[in-house]
Amino acid sequence: MLVIRPLQEADLDALYDMAQNAGKGLTTLPADRELLERKIEHARETFNQRCAPEAGLYLFALEDTELKRCVGISGIQARVGLDEVFYNYRLSVAVNASRELGVHVRTPTLHLSNDMTDTTEICSLLLSDSHRGGGNGLLLSRCRFMYLDSFRKHFSEKVFAEMRGVSDKHGRSPLWDALGSQFFDMEFSEADMLSGLGNKSFIAELMPKYPIYVPMLPDAARAVVGRVHDNTAPALRMLQAEGFNFNGLVDIFDGGPVVEAFVHNIRTVRESINRHVLISRKPMDLNLPASERVMISNVSFRDFRVTTIPAECIGPDTVTLNKEVAEVLLVESGDQVRLAPLKDAGPQAIHTVKEHGHVSRSPWG
Amino acid sequence: MWLVRPIKMDDLQGVLGISGNQGARLSSTLPKQEDALAAKIDCSVRSFAGKLKTGESARFLFVLQNTATGKIHGIAGIDARAGNGQPFYNYRRDALIHASHELGVSRRVEVLYPSHALTDTSLLCAFAIDPELKGTDAFELLSRARLMFIAEHREWFSRRMVVEIQGVQTSQGEVPFWDSLGRHFFDMDFETADQHSGLLSKTFIAELMPPNPIYVTLLSTAAQKALGQPHELTGPTYELLQHEGFSAGCYVDIFDAGPVLEARTDSLRTVVTSHRAVLHGNPGDNGDNCLISAGQGEAFRCTLTPLGETLKNEVKVPVSTWTCLGCSSGDDVRMAPL
Repeated sequence: MLVIRPLQEADLDALYDMAQNAGKGLTTLPADRELLERKIEHARETFNQRCAPEAGLYLFALEDTELKRCVGISGIQARVGLDEVFYNYRLSVAVNASRELGVHVRTPTLHLSNDMTDTTEICSLLLSDSHRGGGNGLLLSRCRFMYLDSFRKHFSEKVFAEMRGVSDKHGRSPLWDALGSQFFDMEFSEADMLSGLGNKSFIAELMPKYPIYVPMLPDAARAVVGRVHDNTAPALRMLQAEGFNFNGLVDIFDGGPVVEAFVHNIRTVRESINRHVLISRKPMDLNLPASERVMISNVSFRDFRVTTIPAECIGPDTVTLNKEVAEVLLVESGDQVRLAPLKDAGPQAIHTVKEHGHVSRSPWG
Repeated sequence: MWLVRPIKMDDLQGVLGISGNQGARLSSTLPKQEDALAAKIDCSVRSFAGKLKTGESARFLFVLQNTATGKIHGIAGIDARAGNGQPFYNYRRDALIHASHELGVSRRVEVLYPSHALTDTSLLCAFAIDPELKGTDAFELLSRARLMFIAEHREWFSRRMVVEIQGVQTSQGEVPFWDSLGRHFFDMDFETADQHSGLLSKTFIAELMPPNPIYVTLLSTAAQKALGQPHELTGPTYELLQHEGFSAGCYVDIFDAGPVLEARTDSLRTVVTSHRAVLHGNPGDNGDNCLISAGQGEAFRCTLTPLGETLKNEVKVPVSTWTCLGCSSGDDVRMAPL
């Protein structure tokens, strides 16, 4: 069984392996043992409510209960830009027009901004190659929205994700080569790593502060402003399906887009439902295709758990679980749990469940 | 003889002949269209006569004439106040140090700031001469006659003088700085923009020019190279102006990044070395050639003359020079060595 739970100290080795395999481009999880250890510690403090809510870093592990090993990770940072300044470029348009000459020129312009300051970021998604497919990536990503919804007061109304921008297989970014490198005198990968290690103050000191006129950049650089890396395209589609949209901000290094959504508008949040647990001895087939399974979570801040079960387990008021699943979720009969679609579903799915009072074969399928 | 005198409306055709010979750059101060040029001449005539309307600022145009043929061979101008009541645009080259103590990095970043700081300084402009005369005494006469005029009417001009020198342009007519910067915002070729800048009010520059500073490092390599560089054809002009005391500061042209030369008016060589004298006749025409000017405002004349002996404040020059200047014995003149 695959289950989401808060990250723990024991996950360090597995996390380090994953970070190493991820290679360049994952700025929030560099393969640095000490840093990862600090992150885990930070996450423990957060779940135990021993740190200020705005400083919270929520890291979730995807555990394979048979291997007893963490095979994926995803995270939520409660607020960005508080202890270090958070930078983006805002892609805006300046119009220069002269009625006298009949000239009307639109100039896309990059303005250095700190607009995401104080906003919740979803970040750090990483999944072992061995566990790709079968909806595991969806579970790892979407479990966060169930958590956000359950504990809204700990997060901002709006959440965002930074999408990895375009770089080639050698890790060279056209935008970095045309812009950042003119000011930083270092390779993209190096700058990216420094930024991941939390050495962000150097950005403030070295970055150009005045707006950058996009037409002055070479074609290759212009073409990647606001574009995602091919490998990130599926993640972008997934977030778009959740209701995330490009908000006009791009990464200052590689030009990757920032997408955002209001928590109450996120599809997983809108389509989630509450049920009470009913434990039964009926066998459950947990190996169904992703489209026939749904996510189920407990409502514990500290011992949050999410796993997937067959959609047919959902009843009008209850959800029927076997003992193993209930144990994994740390719930007993009568406890409240939340359910949400795993795969993209039609918008009417939840109403089907509510209105008809019984379960169609696949409520979100 | 070569004579420099204020322009007159009759000179219109003669001046069109000269401006037609020049490259693109001249147009920014001297239009090729007849009616536009006529308006400029009219403004100059009124400036010399002291009959400007309120709010107008003085713009003087001089012509170089061959007194034997009456033909016009060159033109030169002074704007008493650069911008003529409107903003005078330049880029100021400046530097920022981007340094990170933590990383031990310190880097000099060059930036071009849009600037109006030179507005209302006095501007030498509209210089054009028959290509055959480049580098001759007539060339020096035409250029420096303006400074003689300034020396004579010092209170009409500001403390600082500036001159815009044409920037780099390839033989195909491409302006690298324009192609890397202005073209993106003005949506027109260099020549069109330059023409507009001579003819229209400067409003279009305010409307179309990017308002934010420009990082030099983001310009094309060719544009960076052209920054502050004079066009190779401007060599003689550049040298003459340097000799007068002009030097390149931190300002460049917004269109072609040609250098803007600056000088303190009171330190200009012609202003310092010229002196007033009383005119007397000299039967011969021996002696060293020097600049001589006479007359105020619209009566101003300047020419080259062999200078005989000088006694106290008296100069002896050939009678032909008198005629040329429209003076007679005992009149006040101004002299300066070549």
